[in-house]
Amino acid sequence: MWKQVEDALNQSTTNFITNSVRYLPGIVALILAIVISLVVAWIAGAILRRLLASLEFDAWLVRSGMSPAVEWSPGHSPTLLVSGAVSAAIVIFGLLIGIAAFDSELSSELIRGFFSYVPNIIGAILVLLVGTIAARFLGRSVLIGAVNLNLDYARFLSAGVKMLVNVLAVAMALEDLKIAVGIVELAFGILFGGIVFSLALAVALGSKDLVTRSLEREVKKSTSDPIEEPLRHL
Amino acid sequence: MEVDAATQPTTLTAEQIGNADLLIGLLADLSKEDLGCLRDSLKALPGSPRVVVLQSGAAASAPPSPTLDPWEHSSPVVMLPWSPTADGAAPTAIETFANAYQSIFAVGTKLDVKACCVVASKIENPTPGWVCRLVQPLLAGDFDLVAPCYERRRFEGLLNNSIVGPLTRSLYGKRIQNPMGPDFGLSRKLFEEVVGAEEDHAAGNGLGLIARLAPVASRETFRVCQTYLGSRIYPPVDWTNASALLTDILGPIFLSMEKNAPKWQQLRGSALITTLNEQESRAQSPNPAPAIDVARLINTFQLGMRDLQEIWRLVLPPATLFELHHVSPQKFRIPDELWVRIIYDFALAHRLRTINRVHLLRSLTPLYLGWVASYALETEGADSAGLNRRLERLSIAYEAGKPYLISRWRWPDRFNP
Repeated sequence: MWKQVEDALNQSTTNFITNSVRYLPGIVALILAIVISLVVAWIAGAILRRLLASLEFDAWLVRSGMSPAVEWSPGHSPTLLVSGAVSAAIVIFGLLIGIAAFDSELSSELIRGFFSYVPNIIGAILVLLVGTIAARFLGRSVLIGAVNLNLDYARFLSAGVKMLVNVLAVAMALEDLKIAVGIVELAFGILFGGIVFSLALAVALGSKDLVTRSLEREVKKSTSDPIEEPLRHL
Repeated sequence: MEVDAATQPTTLTAEQIGNADLLIGLLADLSKEDLGCLRDSLKALPGSPRVVVLQSGAAASAPPSPTLDPWEHSSPVVMLPWSPTADGAAPTAIETFANAYQSIFAVGTKLDVKACCVVASKIENPTPGWVCRLVQPLLAGDFDLVAPCYERRRFEGLLNNSIVGPLTRSLYGKRIQNPMGPDFGLSRKLFEEVVGAEEDHAAGNGLGLIARLAPVASRETFRVCQTYLGSRIYPPVDWTNASALLTDILGPIFLSMEKNAPKWQQLRGSALITTLNEQESRAQSPNPAPAIDVARLINTFQLGMRDLQEIWRLVLPPATLFELHHVSPQKFRIPDELWVRIIYDFALAHRLRTINRVHLLRSLTPLYLGWVASYALETEGADSAGLNRRLERLSIAYEAGKPYLISRWRWPDRFNP
């Protein structure tokens, strides 16, 4: 009986070693690919950073009216954002090459699946990026407008608008990534409706007088000569 | 000939008119009596120049004169109804105002006039022929720009008194009291130069044309004067809508400042310009100023201090923010030096596009209202001479702060006190 147990153990050990040895070149190739891609990513990132800095990329973006992109970027530097994104893309590419080195059906399917999912990831990132910029822009517009109207809850309104747009963007991004679609839709509906309702209540209850004054002003404005408007303070 | 919609009703008649010496555009809705006085005073001009008057307002709906030759009765003055807005368009008040200027200059070019005059204000108890004061220095060939001077009152023309006037004086070196008029007399040479200036006409709201007047006229090739017109009747101020006004007026001024940066960086100090009919300004006594809710203005300023820090931090240097924090609500004062630095920093942020330009200019509103509150408290009980002294002090502060502006403009990152 001990003999049979010993044979079985030997057989298992042999199988384990054989399989390990079979995968070993793949693992080594994966590690090598990751290391090389990390080095290439670092070099490419450094070159790109220097190149963009010499071209004054950040200042150019500001001059082109893309200041929200500057504010959104890490360290307020789009150069860092672009070089970081390129480095990350190189590392991911290296990782995929490393996985492909296994040359197995599983890895091929994994790569195919990943590449078919890439458009969704890019779409979701774009939606989040645009959503963040729009949220910041609209939040700022509301904040300035509310302060100029002498509203005490200007910051609350601004935060509400920002949250609305961000929630919308996150829900759209999750929808694009096909993650828990049903739950996201339901949660988004409840959350969005709740925020709109609470904002509407706050504005309606807190700004009755303001709305009345505003409407009165509009009525008066229509009867007065419009050309005089810009001359009031000049 | 291709004509744009804004000038079409006049252009058709302009072809019948042929040439004229002087074009006057009336944006203000003058009464029949005032128009009669104007016609008489224009007829009495030396040399009997041929004058075309474009009349907007109530008279604009009247049909044009059917006569083929408007000069046939040997009258040197032709009055034409005119609408500064294109049919079907619903422009804003600012656009209407800017269109009117553009339209007058376009008609002036077509009529080959020697000078143009724009009258946009109503004057309290006007002297007969007050419009001719804008015209005579042009026809005599002495000046290229005749800017208006009005009796100064405490709460009238505040944006001009606090920013537009002293900033223009500090930048371009000419002490023009009202650089943005709105009443002007311009020589042909000047308005052609302003219209043809190589600047982005599409940018802004059209007021760029008026904002360019003072910078262009301040060049050595042009001669500038101002003439006293009387007490201007201002429409009532809408304090709740100040942010739109700041955006509309300061946007073109800051753009013009950016375009003319090489010129104003070389200039220091300012020079007096000829002021005509000045003796009359002392003869009139100012009316009592309208009531102003200072507490509300201070409240808006404090609300801005509490909620707009995240925006102002991007625009104002730490030292300026520190000083703003130490403005006491009890003894509320914004020192001139601080106010000047704020305006210069906003001009710089506008140039650098630190944040969206509309956001930037709108976020200036609480600071502007704070300055108005401070000014209201300081000038309580001040007479006309006291107001003039107060505003002169502010103008001097703008001039004194110009090296700060130049340093920040040239080295925005390095020079950040």
